[in-house]
Amino acid sequence: MKRLSRPGEGEVLLLTANRLLDGRIVWLGEGERWRESIAEAKRFSYEEAGPALERALAAAAQKEVVAIYEVVAHDTQPPEPVTAREVIRAHGPSVHPDFSYDDALARTPAQEKERAQ
Amino acid sequence: MTQSNSHSVGHYQYEERDRAFLQERINEFEGQVRRRLAGELSEEEFKPFRLMNGVYLQLHAYMLRVAIPYGVLDSRQLHKLADVAAKYDRNYGHFTTRQNIQFNWIALQDMPAILRELAEVDMHAIQTSGNCIRNVTSDEFAGAAKDELMDPRIYAEIVRQWSTLHPEFTFLPRKFKIAISGSPEDRVAARFHDIGLLARPSEHGPLFRLFVGGGLGRTPVVGQELFDSVREEDLIATLEAVLRVYNAFGRRDNLYKARIKILVQTIGLEAFRKAVEEELSRMDCAAYRLTPEHVAQIRARFAVPDLQAPADAASLFEQHKQADPAFARWVASNTHPHHHDSYICAVISLKTPGAIPGDVTAEQMHGLADLSARYAFGEVRVTHLQNLVFGHVRKDQLYDVWQGLQKLDLAAPNVGLISDIVSCPGLDYCNLANARSLPLAQKLGARFGDAALQAEIGALSIHMSGCINACGHHHVGNIGLLGVDKRGAETYQILLGGDGGENAAIGGILGPSFAEDEAVEAVARIVEFYLAQRQKGESFAAMLKRCGLKAFKEVAYETV
Repeated sequence: MKRLSRPGEGEVLLLTANRLLDGRIVWLGEGERWRESIAEAKRFSYEEAGPALERALAAAAQKEVVAIYEVVAHDTQPPEPVTAREVIRAHGPSVHPDFSYDDALARTPAQEKERAQ
Repeated sequence: MTQSNSHSVGHYQYEERDRAFLQERINEFEGQVRRRLAGELSEEEFKPFRLMNGVYLQLHAYMLRVAIPYGVLDSRQLHKLADVAAKYDRNYGHFTTRQNIQFNWIALQDMPAILRELAEVDMHAIQTSGNCIRNVTSDEFAGAAKDELMDPRIYAEIVRQWSTLHPEFTFLPRKFKIAISGSPEDRVAARFHDIGLLARPSEHGPLFRLFVGGGLGRTPVVGQELFDSVREEDLIATLEAVLRVYNAFGRRDNLYKARIKILVQTIGLEAFRKAVEEELSRMDCAAYRLTPEHVAQIRARFAVPDLQAPADAASLFEQHKQADPAFARWVASNTHPHHHDSYICAVISLKTPGAIPGDVTAEQMHGLADLSARYAFGEVRVTHLQNLVFGHVRKDQLYDVWQGLQKLDLAAPNVGLISDIVSCPGLDYCNLANARSLPLAQKLGARFGDAALQAEIGALSIHMSGCINACGHHHVGNIGLLGVDKRGAETYQILLGGDGGENAAIGGILGPSFAEDEAVEAVARIVEFYLAQRQKGESFAAMLKRCGLKAFKEVAYETV
């Protein structure tokens, strides 16, 4: 297994993946469930992340996710990735605010339906 | 509009066996997707299958790249692409620098259904990915341009048929790209392809100048002339021999040294040529001989537009220009002379200042398809500079076309000008990118969006890539921008002096990279310097040659 990124002062590790069915970005949350919002991502120390990643990789097929890896994030509320790449993965393409994951998660089902029409 | 037979103008007309093959292929992939979703195939096992069908896993979702052979679509195909965008994606598609289209938000479970819908209009995603011979690209004005020597699309189709599922070349050391032009002006960047072909007629039949080992990416190289005059009958045998030599000797141990350009650079052009000639001497060349009958069979499956026009078409066109200066300005930048005096080629800019280069909404696609059906023989071409072309428009009807484009917000008068920015999707979508390219392209487009300013600057190209893989062809822009990751932050290198045409050149790096807004200001200072210091009629490339990179560097870093 490749060496994990080491978080710095005030940083933590998160585990992320793409959902098999539609490629949607997901974050490993409590109870080893994959969540759509980075706000629900479980925070790991460097020492905790290795075994958690191994467990996630072993369960990838059953949990229907692909391309699992760790992401360094600031230990803020919600956690915010350190790199530009992971910020874009967490929040959506910067050139399409209308595709923002944050907005999508904040929208009610009625608003979603209205947008789709 | 009429045409000479029932076939679509501009591209090869499928036979029933072509359609049957596509259905078999979709059935096969549908089974593979089903097995993957059922957990019977691992991602490692499935990945080669999905790549063979144009399916990538990108940053946010699966991406489907659909092949547009030699960049030619018909209006029913464009309507279908619009339907796919609306039904399965987020209502838009992105035209690429390889004359293809990509959909960025496709679900894996929908892929077989999408491929079935595409097959209804003779489209597919085969060989748009993987280490095989990719979509053959060609001149966007093929069969229409006044300066054309011969129509390259017939040969592009022949190469497409030869390369499709070629049993020897399905697992090459790396991907392989071929471009073909039939014009003295290289509009396909022939010297920056694994193989570039420039076709010309002769008293003994068509001849092909063959360049080999060009490419951009991590190691940009200008292709070298392998053969000056390949005869038509030897074209396929010669391509086969080049590919065999590459397949045998290209490196497979290092991804970054696997392209044919590295092989040619390593052993030298003479040794490479000798190896190809030896291969040709061992081959049963008669089996590969391209006969005039073969060529005629392929040619017969292309429709020729019936170019009829009223006698006053050209004079009406002049009247429209005189009456409407905005139309005249658009004509000046967005058209190309046609071989028929009453017709003209119209370029539709997909670079409306401030918009995302290459993106087209489903509504715009439907609108363009309708315009092409009414005014352009139902044919639409995709350029490698991420614009679209109506190849044959009657001059007296161009004003109507322009008005239609205005309604679609696709009438930017900027083709070949500074806001006609070529850009890859960058870090906003791409798994390989180091930095975003689209926001910078949008900012530069908006900065230089004023039509009068663009006209004053004149021809000047900006190309932008989000990583060293160079999908935005940053090495060949007059001004190139390359996104670079600096400890997780996005920065941008500036290159100057690239040229993708006959005077092929790779841009030189100015110096250390800039933050995004600094890069916009640095480009602005470079352009101001050019405007202030250029001599009458002097192009950007000519002034760069006269003043040297150092002078531009001093200006670019002036206030940083």
